[in-house]
Amino acid sequence: MDQHISSTITTAPVALADRIKSIDAIRGFALLGILMMNIPGFGINNDFWYPLVTGPRQGANYYTFATVFTLFEGTMRGLFSMLFGAGMVLFMLNKKDVPGGTTVAEYYYRRLLWLVFFGLVNAFVILWQGDILFFYGLCGMLLFAFRKLQPKWLLIIGLTCVAFAMIKREWNNNEFREKRAAYTEAMKAKKEKKELSPEQQGAIAVWSNIEKNDKPDTAYSNLNLRKMQSGYGTIFAYFIPQNAGGEIGYMYGDPWDMLCMMFIGMALFGWGFFSNKLKTSTYAMWLLIGYGVGIPVAWAIFDQYWMGFSSPGAYADNWRSSHAVFSELRRIPITIGHASLLMLVFRSNIVPWLMRALANVGQMAFTNYLMQSIICTFFFYGYGFGYYNKLEFHQLYYVVAAVWVFQLIFSSIWLRYFRFGPFEWVWRSLTYWKKQPMKK
Amino acid sequence: MSLFASPIQDTDVQTPVADTPDNHSSIFSLEVIGGLSLFGMLVFNIWEFGGFTNNLQLFYQEGPHGGNYKLMTAVSTLFGGKMQALFALVFGAGIILFLQKKEQPVAISNADAYIRRMMWLMAFGVFNAFILLWPGDILFHLGVMGILLFAFTRMKAKGFFIAAIICTLVYCGKQYWNYTDDKKDYKKYTAVMAVENKFKADSTSRAKKDSIDRTKDTLLLKDSLLKNKLTDSIARKNDTLNKKQSEEKETWEGRVKGLKFDSTAIKGNNKTYRASWNKVAYKLMSRSQQKESAWLYRIGIWDIGAFLFLGMALMSIGFFSSRFSSSTYLIIGLITIVAGLALAWFRINLQCSKLEDYSKYIDKKVIPPNQFSPIETILMATGYLSLVLWLLRMKIFGWLWKALAAAGRLAFTNYILQTIICTFFFYGYGFGYFGRLKQWELYFMVAEIVLVQVVFSVFWLRYYNRGPVEWLWRCLVYRKWLPNKKPSSEIQHPD
Repeated sequence: MDQHISSTITTAPVALADRIKSIDAIRGFALLGILMMNIPGFGINNDFWYPLVTGPRQGANYYTFATVFTLFEGTMRGLFSMLFGAGMVLFMLNKKDVPGGTTVAEYYYRRLLWLVFFGLVNAFVILWQGDILFFYGLCGMLLFAFRKLQPKWLLIIGLTCVAFAMIKREWNNNEFREKRAAYTEAMKAKKEKKELSPEQQGAIAVWSNIEKNDKPDTAYSNLNLRKMQSGYGTIFAYFIPQNAGGEIGYMYGDPWDMLCMMFIGMALFGWGFFSNKLKTSTYAMWLLIGYGVGIPVAWAIFDQYWMGFSSPGAYADNWRSSHAVFSELRRIPITIGHASLLMLVFRSNIVPWLMRALANVGQMAFTNYLMQSIICTFFFYGYGFGYYNKLEFHQLYYVVAAVWVFQLIFSSIWLRYFRFGPFEWVWRSLTYWKKQPMKK
Repeated sequence: MSLFASPIQDTDVQTPVADTPDNHSSIFSLEVIGGLSLFGMLVFNIWEFGGFTNNLQLFYQEGPHGGNYKLMTAVSTLFGGKMQALFALVFGAGIILFLQKKEQPVAISNADAYIRRMMWLMAFGVFNAFILLWPGDILFHLGVMGILLFAFTRMKAKGFFIAAIICTLVYCGKQYWNYTDDKKDYKKYTAVMAVENKFKADSTSRAKKDSIDRTKDTLLLKDSLLKNKLTDSIARKNDTLNKKQSEEKETWEGRVKGLKFDSTAIKGNNKTYRASWNKVAYKLMSRSQQKESAWLYRIGIWDIGAFLFLGMALMSIGFFSSRFSSSTYLIIGLITIVAGLALAWFRINLQCSKLEDYSKYIDKKVIPPNQFSPIETILMATGYLSLVLWLLRMKIFGWLWKALAAAGRLAFTNYILQTIICTFFFYGYGFGYFGRLKQWELYFMVAEIVLVQVVFSVFWLRYYNRGPVEWLWRCLVYRKWLPNKKPSSEIQHPD
């Protein structure tokens, strides 16, 4: 996140010139982009996607949905994960142990433990279910052991993580297809008027359940809507089991999604990708490769998989493997494409003011991330302005734009007077267990 | 480098820490306690290995309290959770020792070696749970907790103690929280039952009225009679519980049913475990996943955390060496064990009335039976520890301590070996004895394993510095082929 959060054991602040501006700019971009993916979670009831995937392929809602899910889904989180990996290496590189004192490794782990804590606060107190800080904190604890590896090996480990994710999804898809096969067989027997065995009856029941679960559960959606429009106490209690379940399931079940990007990010950082050290032609090449591979795959996935949600039967019959299996092959190239594009814009100096503004946002990424939760929960949830489910899908993106403008301006003004964002300062002070200087 | 990180074994490195006599005696005590807890855990774990399942335990708890019940209660009071706690405690103490090391066999920092150790431990844990098929594995959890607690390792003894107490209290709080969840379910259930009873009463009164109506066959009444019938039929339609209500009813009924012995489950369970590796693996997978994720998140952090912290605290005040007078150890040991047993007695009584009728229990009692079990565990574990340390200082049973220390030095190897021996003996792809031994027979099995492991450990250590798994672990951590054989001059040949 803010990779330079501290430079030395004596906690001398990093000379501002030392900060790698290009990294800050990409981080700022990713941070703002993350809100695009999060906004449905904040502001619209969970059955919103059903009319989108079953309805006509036109209208503002559909085009917004298609754009966001083709070009950005997973990539902003991916970019953020990459920079988290890079920032972790930076944090360790910049400091030397003082003999007898607290080691850098210990500061590193304290810092991450506080990040886990902030993640818990973000999820359970600020009430944002899509929190990632908790997971980043824990994943960061695993990255430590790999920080000195050569970029080549980091890339291999990253790709191994991708393989894990793919194997796991393929496994799930196989189970899904087995259920479908058992169902078709049972239905065939039923048509031929044969007596069904208990297994065959079970198979029919299992598949009917899948079909049913695929449609939004009205009772649940209504309950959710009512809860989200209630006061703080109700939502707080409502979220406890959901947050706990999410943290358990995602961390244990699918850490590969985060880890692969972090390792690839560490590798790219090692090659100087983020610090503006590669040739312009290299960035241009990666831009073309990234978008060239990623966007067609992304469109195929969107077209076939997302839009195929409405009929699981046809999906299982038509496709040997799930599109979800290949989603990393969409996500990683597009993420690299985004990063390359940004690096090209950065070095071409077309919009220096925008890059500066993005760098400011990125420099206080932690603050801005938490602030997105605070602003959005307060805007949408019942105890704030209560706009939950009151906006159309595409209208949510007006809110996104407003938050962007606010954060770009706020970060620039804040950093004129202070060295760190407010939450960065709290985090840093807690890590070093000492009040840190704040003013410039 | 044993599981408990005793630097004294790093004969290939100069470890100044190990030369101080204080640490020498600490390490020996740690190894003794490690060996003791290793075997103590097996006494309790053998239930699960051997097919003395929860379900069967319920049978003895519910039936007349005969010999089996008494034996079982004694074992769970003396060993259940307490030995695992001791194991974690020694592991925690070992963390402090390990981080005091001045030098590693290859040029990496202590932090690097430490984190790598923990990550490999996690990997070994996954192997133990999913390949060797022991869902009760704790290596994974120790590894995760070791990483999480690394940030705290520089605290002072006081900090460690406070942290251990906080963990224990949070764990107690969680027990209460779970109980209130049960209470809520029960309240919903009673509400649903009230509705259902009303329905029943309504339908009987309607039936009565119907039969009266049939006798009054006057024209005058016919009109109002028809009207009555109409409202009746509407009422009847609304007579059944709605989906939510029946779900709430089923939730509680299921919970109560789960506390009852199920005679039909035994056969199925035995069949599952007496099957091929594939089938057992498939069956146990979700349980191991559950333990490594949800259990760790909800309970394990506090449960294991408390003992790691306590171990670190005791290590940093020098509890494992000769810091205190013998009588102090004896007094601490006696007090904590008596207090722990008192809490256990309290828990067992409550448990009995819970099993008799959980609805009645939850209606009356403020706390669940296991409300203070975290405190009971920490007291008993401290008690055992102090008593053993006292006995060590009394210099009696010297042979016993040596034997235990040898097993403790090979704790990692022995822990994995226990899994291998037990799964092979009990599961279907080995001898398939699952569910075929009586409770007391299982303890004979434990005795044999203990004997084999002690003999194996003593002999192994004659020729090698570390156990085979410890050695493998070490090579993985340092990414280097490290020697393990003792130089021939050091090997003492028994005459």
